[in-house]
Amino acid sequence: MEKEIKMPRLREEMKEGVLCAWLKEEGESFKKGEPLYEIETDKVVNQVEAEEDGVLEKQLVEEGDVVPCGEKIGEVRVDE
Amino acid sequence: MSKPLKKPDWLKVPYDPKAVNEVASLMKDLKLNTVCNEANCPNLGECFMKHTATFMILGSHCTRNCRFCNVTHAAPETVDPDEPENLARAARQLGLRHVVITQVTRDDLPDGGAQQFAECLKALHELCPGTTVEVLTSDLKGDHDALDVVLKAGPDVFNHNVEMPKELYSKVRPQARYERSLDVLRYVKETYPNVLTKTGFMLGLGEMDEEIDVLMDDLIETGCDILTISQYLQPSPEHYPLQRYVTPEEFEQYKERALEKGFRFVMSTPLVRSSYRAAEAMEGAKESRAE
Repeated sequence: MEKEIKMPRLREEMKEGVLCAWLKEEGESFKKGEPLYEIETDKVVNQVEAEEDGVLEKQLVEEGDVVPCGEKIGEVRVDE
Repeated sequence: MSKPLKKPDWLKVPYDPKAVNEVASLMKDLKLNTVCNEANCPNLGECFMKHTATFMILGSHCTRNCRFCNVTHAAPETVDPDEPENLARAARQLGLRHVVITQVTRDDLPDGGAQQFAECLKALHELCPGTTVEVLTSDLKGDHDALDVVLKAGPDVFNHNVEMPKELYSKVRPQARYERSLDVLRYVKETYPNVLTKTGFMLGLGEMDEEIDVLMDDLIETGCDILTISQYLQPSPEHYPLQRYVTPEEFEQYKERALEKGFRFVMSTPLVRSSYRAAEAMEGAKESRAE
């Protein structure tokens, strides 16, 4: 099943986030709980973890891009 | 405005969106605030994943406006009479064995919010027997009667943060007073010697090494048991400018120095916060006292 990854809202007041790094390449598989990408907020760099097993299909934004919360940043294929 | 400093590798933290949402919605349902959320705590992801949180009572608006802190400074809210029971219910639902309760500073209330602390302690003792409780209070305007109200309700740990050396108060915490905070810690230790006292300060605000030395001496003189030392993280470009990131090695050196000076238990790493792994700190101090 294909799924979208969206820029998460890590805090209620957060409007946009910086995607600092992808931690998986396109085509690379991952397990639930593994960090997929990094988002920098004012205080720290958050390593956002996968919610289920899958494969990263597409990276739709570049590292360093500022992306509004809720906007699509990538696509994954997860096990049914 | 100067460009923010590049974040070092040791400031990377895990974030599990699902676990964070679970704890956040429980708090919302019970109309509770957490300092984790209000202060934009860097450990929120780790703690919420472990289903632990630090409750922040008496609203989400602080009557003081410290330049290092992310908590909103605004007109104070009405005290919620259901808060103590809701807090105890949340603690039970999360299965917390050690609960930390902090507050927004309420200089508008005659007792600074002491009675609400006492009510929360009562509710927790009733609903979650056997659970230990740590209170992290404001200076309660240095009022010993207000401190008595909190302490007579039986917390296991009394925590009050001194935050920084004396020299920085006028620039960063103008509405607080260094001597008053020391007096709060001293009074509690002298009057309730069986309660563990705890305090914390930040590094990276521009403090000098000698100032930290004096600060540690002043804290030890109050009889303080537990010390937390953490990295100041600037909540936004409008807050007090971060001067530098202190390395984990330097944190380790400060820890050794604090232990040499006589603190029973010291937590000192960049991401330590005053209620971070609070149960561990309490147990560590108890063991040290038993020796």
